[in-house]
Parts: sequence; C-alpha cells; structure tokens
Amino acid sequence: MSIEHEQSIESNDDIIVIKDLNKWYGDFHVLKDINLRVKKGERIVICGPSGSGKSTMIRCINRLEEFQRGSLIVNGVEMIEDVKNIEAIRREVGMVFQHFNLFPHLTILENLTLGPIWVQKKPKKEAEATAMKYLERVKIPDQALKFPGQLSGGQQQRVAIARSLCMNPEIMLFDEPTSALDPEMIKEVLDVMVELAEEGMTMLCVTHEMGFAKKVADRVIFMDAGEIVEQNTPEEIFQNPQTDRLQLFLSQILDH
Amino acid sequence: MKEFKPLPAQPAPNDTIGPIHWMKENLFSSPVNTIVTLAIIAFFATVIPPLVDWLFISANWVGNTQSACTNENGACWVFVIAWSKQFFYGSYPVEEIWRVNLCLIGLVAIIIASFKLNKDLRNKIAIPLFLLLPFISILFLDGSWIGLEYVSTDYWGGFTLNVLLAAASIIVAFPLSFLWALGRRSDMPFIRSVSIVLIEFFRGVPVLALFFMGSVMLPLFFPEGTNVDKLVRVWIVLTLFMSGYMAEVFRGGFQAVPKGQYEAADSLGLNFWQKTLLIILPQVIKISMPNILATFVMLFKNTTFLLIIGIFEMLSTTQTALTNSNWLGGHSTEGYLFVAVVFWICCFSMSMISNSIERKLDTSHKN
Repeated sequence: MSIEHEQSIESNDDIIVIKDLNKWYGDFHVLKDINLRVKKGERIVICGPSGSGKSTMIRCINRLEEFQRGSLIVNGVEMIEDVKNIEAIRREVGMVFQHFNLFPHLTILENLTLGPIWVQKKPKKEAEATAMKYLERVKIPDQALKFPGQLSGGQQQRVAIARSLCMNPEIMLFDEPTSALDPEMIKEVLDVMVELAEEGMTMLCVTHEMGFAKKVADRVIFMDAGEIVEQNTPEEIFQNPQTDRLQLFLSQILDH
Repeated sequence: MKEFKPLPAQPAPNDTIGPIHWMKENLFSSPVNTIVTLAIIAFFATVIPPLVDWLFISANWVGNTQSACTNENGACWVFVIAWSKQFFYGSYPVEEIWRVNLCLIGLVAIIIASFKLNKDLRNKIAIPLFLLLPFISILFLDGSWIGLEYVSTDYWGGFTLNVLLAAASIIVAFPLSFLWALGRRSDMPFIRSVSIVLIEFFRGVPVLALFFMGSVMLPLFFPEGTNVDKLVRVWIVLTLFMSGYMAEVFRGGFQAVPKGQYEAADSLGLNFWQKTLLIILPQVIKISMPNILATFVMLFKNTTFLLIIGIFEMLSTTQTALTNSNWLGGHSTEGYLFVAVVFWICCFSMSMISNSIERKLDTSHKN
C-alpha cells in the first residue's frame, strides 16, 4: 500500500495514531490498551513512576520494541512486520536516549553525517554542511572533530539531539534525556529542547523535568502500570489532578 | 560577594620520588622482599655469564662445514648459517627466491600502509588488497599462470612458508569467522544451527587431527579426478580452524557492544548490513583486539605442526638439517634455539603491532 493512499485514510492532521496497543514481555503485560493521538507540532510530556511503561510506549513508536496487539500509524505509515516499512518509519522519527548512545569510534561530525550519507544517500559535503548547521544550533560547532569520549555528558546529549535532527525527522522522541546528566548539565540540554519545541517540532518526551513540562508541553500524559491514567494540559495536570494516583505521584516528585 | 580562588597545586614531597626511593619501596621494603631480590640477582649472576659465553664469546661463527666448529665450548652457528637458505626458503629455487621475498614485502607493505593511510584510503585500497594478497601470492609463487618458471608446491618451504600460510589463513578466516559469529547470533534457526555446528566442530577437534583429515579425508569430498594441492588443503584446514576460534572471539566482542549502540543505529534507519559493518564491527574489533592477536599468534605457531604431514616448513626443515649426514653430532640445541628465536621475534612484533592498533582504535580518551 502506498504512503499517499494511507494518508488519505487518515484525513485529520494526527501524525501519530495509536489504537488499542498491547504489549507483553513474556507473561508480563507492560502496555494495556494504549490509545493516543498526536497532532503535528504537538509537544507531549510523558511522566509516571518507573516501570509504568512510558519508555516502552515511545520505543514502540519507532519499533525499538515490538507489540503484540493493536495498531500504530506514524506519519501515515502503518507499522507492520516488514523491514522496509520499519525503516521508512524510523527515517521519520528521531530518537534521543538516556545514555546518549553516540558511536564512540566516530568523530562528532561523523556521528552526525552517518545517517544522512548512508540512509538518505546525501553527498558527503552536503551532509557535513547540514551537520555543522545543527552543531551550531546546539552550540558546539568547535567540537566537530573530537570523539564522543572527549565531551561532557551535556555536550554528548546535545550532539545526540543534533544527530537526530540531521535526519530531518517529523517527530522527535526523547527517552529520559536528562536522567543520566549532572545537575549542572541538565539546563544546557533542556535549553536546546525548549528551542526545538518553540520551532514547532512534534515532540514526545519522557522526562521527570516538570519545569520543562510546564514551560513547553501542550499535553502531559501520566502513566502507571502500563496504562494512560490521565492526560491534560500541564496547568490542569499540576493544579487539578483527577486521580489519587497522580496526586500521590505529584506530591512525591514535587515535595522533595 | 566573596570570590572563590582554588589553592595552587604543590609539588609532590621529595622523599617519595626518585630511583633510590623506588628501590627502597619495591625491592627492599621488607626482609622477605630483600632476600628474594638478592636471591634473584645471585641466580642471574651465575646463569647469565656462561650463557653469554656459549652463545656469543666462544661461539663458532665462520666457516661452511661442520669441521669449522672447533671450539667445543661454544655454539656452532656455522650450522645455522650454512642452512639458513633452507630454514627460510625450503627447497625453493635460489634464482626464484625474489618471488618469495616480493610476497613478504607485499605483506609488510600492506600492513604499514594500513597504518599510514587515512580511513578512506584504508577502506578502499588497503583492505581489498589484503583480501587479494593470498591469491596474488599463490600466482607469484607458483608462477605457471603468469609466465614465470613453474615452482611446484613440493619445493615451497622454510620459515617464509610458515609466515605466508599463517597470513593467508588469517586473511581469509577474518571475514569468514565474522560471518560465523553473526550466524550464531542470527534469529534464523537454520543459519544459527549451521554456524554453531561449524564453530564447535573446528574448535573442538585438535588441530593435528584436522591436518590429518585435511590430507587424507578432504580429497574424498572433492569431485573425482580433481587433485587439490596438499598445501591448498592445509590452507583450507588452517583457515577453518582459525575461523572457529575467531568466531568465538568475535561473539564475545558482539556481546560487549552496548545494546544502546544497536538501538541508536536502528533509530537512524540504518539497515542490517550498514548497522553491522559501520557501527558494530569497528567496536567489536576494538574490544576483541587482544584476543584476536592471541589467536593469530596461536595459529602462526601451529603452522609448525605441519611437519607431521610432511610439509617443509621451518621446523621440519630444521629436523632434516639435523639428520643430514654431513652435520651429524648434536647441533640440535643451536637449531631449535634458532627456530625459537625467529618465531619469538615474529610473535613479539605481532604483539607490538596489536598494542599500537589498540591505541589507534582507542577513542575513549579515558585515563
């Protein structure tokens, strides 16, 4: 089925449509009937206690995790068991990991140009120019020829963000991007993410940074035990939680 | 507000540095340590002077025949010198030896080139040349296909044969073992089982048994009428043996690459082979380098086992020389010592090369 044809089925402007998604690890039911629609340009923050399935859910979106039941449509392409299909979706979705996952044997510049050169078949010169543009955006163009091991955690995470942006994605997924960072470096990464959000990138962000959620999120999703418990605007979520579970969670993360 | 100024760094106290302090600390720190130190010094003092005398001072260096070894208290290096052509080149015709040398120079040149060239040229020129080298060498050494004088493999021999055979096996085994290791990790049951059987067979059977199988059993599998050269069969056996070991070395390397590297490659949309060759392989090689080298050294030394099936590599040439009627009478110490030293020099250089590759590959910049 062609991509154009599928887009005509999804007549609205939802860029991600998740319907009745279920996932098991063996017998363990990690995601239960997840339904989620994300509009183009929407900024979503996903929070919840550890083990609630929030990382697993966003990892399903670029098929780093398989799911057993339900359907998932990303930018008009339905996720099915097909290598070409999965690779097509991954080209549209950028991902930033908790532990950066830069390629340690390549320089920063090579980390950034690898995808454009090998996946998008861009000429090397063009890929390098794009890479330098994004390195300037994350404010570390002077580190281009260094190796990841020579950079601080905050710098590495900014490189990881730039690496995803070089692929020109429609959607950016962030999986706890600041959890492995020293307190002094969290801000420099969040600043880059705020900037990105202000430019209208569609973002799904698993994070415990509630300040970030308040500042940029259009919607906050609270998950627990593999379910979406509550979703609303940041104001409503923080001022007016509807469930006792969310109330408890908020009191625990905000009062320390 | 008060300004924070870090304290200036001070030099280390004087009595904790310098050679005298080092000796006090390491050689004479306690009575037991002092006794051990003195005992070892005494041991070397009694052993080394006579050894040096036998090896060098009283040794016989000049002459062509056994009768030139007049000093009974010294080594007879005349034996080694007189046989050196056989030790290094076997029975290869003297006027054609340049061909063997050319192959060796080619090998060394490619190794040096892969160090000196930048990444692009290395991947595009040095690595393909490396893979072609065994086949080019065979063309040259044999000669009949390229208009040189034909030299049958019966005449190939000596230390250069050990080197070229080991190099040829390593070069072919490298990609093969990587594929086996990949196969062993594959999700596809058929590929996985075939890989496991191959790896475990060639790792589990002693190399000597494999050599006998290669020279006796392997011909049974070739179509009738074809006569595959003994040396080629040995090459195949060595390659497969090496691949079994290397595949396991690579598997360890695969397991040590963090899962996040695979996920990052996946999330960029790289396909399987791009991910494997661009992201995983370089890291696997870096992690496995010490073990890869240990396997190389093992294989290189194992080429001396070929004397069992009558291939004139260096050790069997030495044995032939020792039983030659003109040289009877106990030169075995000199002969075997020479073989040992030559092999040791080569293996030690391989260690040095491996160390420098490790340093070159180390981009972590951690102390």
